Amino acid sequence: MTLDFNGRTLELEKAFWTLFPGLCKGCGLCVEKCPVDCIDWSDVLGVYGTPSVEADNRCIACGICQNVCPDCAIRIDKRKKLIN
Amino acid sequence: MQPAPAMPKSWRVDNKPHKFCPGCGHGLILKCLGQAIDELEIQSRVVYGCDIGCSLLSWDLFNLDTVQTHHGRTTPVMTGMKRARPELLCIAYMGDGGGYSIGVQHLVGAAMRNEKITVIVANNTQYAMTGGQMAPTTLPGQKTETCPYGRDPGATGLPFQGAEMISAIAPDGAYVARGSISHLTQLTGFLKKALKNQIDGHGFSLVEALSACPTNWRTDAARTWEFIEKDMAGYFKRGEIKIPGQKEATANA
Repeated sequence: MTLDFNGRTLELEKAFWTLFPGLCKGCGLCVEKCPVDCIDWSDVLGVYGTPSVEADNRCIACGICQNVCPDCAIRIDKRKKLIN
Repeated sequence: MQPAPAMPKSWRVDNKPHKFCPGCGHGLILKCLGQAIDELEIQSRVVYGCDIGCSLLSWDLFNLDTVQTHHGRTTPVMTGMKRARPELLCIAYMGDGGGYSIGVQHLVGAAMRNEKITVIVANNTQYAMTGGQMAPTTLPGQKTETCPYGRDPGATGLPFQGAEMISAIAPDGAYVARGSISHLTQLTGFLKKALKNQIDGHGFSLVEALSACPTNWRTDAARTWEFIEKDMAGYFKRGEIKIPGQKEATANA
């Protein structure tokens, strides 16, 4: 059985940055670990009613936020990959 | 097409988000374990045992056969399962409360007998589920519910070095390593090597993973990372401590 988590995809310059508000608990670990500081709190609420996160165009598609998210709420698809 | 969450294949999808607190280290350790299981392609052979404490909240996290026991007895339960069905791969997952304090005799016994199971201990320096009391792994000076002025090493001793102790008593063939959620690729590598050690039948394998508990540490995200990377790393050194066929190595940070 698979559930649809309704991701919110941001089409950034280097990546398609998807956040699943149904999984994001708002812990902020990704905000601290981002090497270019491009992740910030968002107006969209997460699963516990806390703010979820969003990235901006400074994103370099390194994938660290996807790795450090304990809830797998972030998914990054690099633009190059999708074109190929 | 709507993208799907990038979860390990061995995770169950239909009951997510999982039950851990926001920012909990268990989620990261179990994500690494899920990736290790995916990469070794052993999902159909794994039996997963979880202990009492916050680790029991992972009872439905994986799409694996799971059993839950209390107070460190996950190790003997998995030992029995491995002896009855040697083709299974048994993983005992517990916290430092179950593994290093109340259930340490089971861990010591299994290591001395060199049982062919894999034990993963998540170390978050306290008893998290009961509200953050002082545990054997609490750092000197760290404030918890039961040591509000900071842990005094003169009265309560120094933090318990579980991985070093197991590597000292385990016979050759055992694999002992300590990873941290601040270095996830390394942790996944250690978990893979530990599972490989069981697949190859060398013997006991233990991976201690330094974990986070923002709820009971009362830390924000920045201070959580700082505590893991600076305070905890000062006492608990990351690295492979015992490798089968090699002399005892010292952990290097």
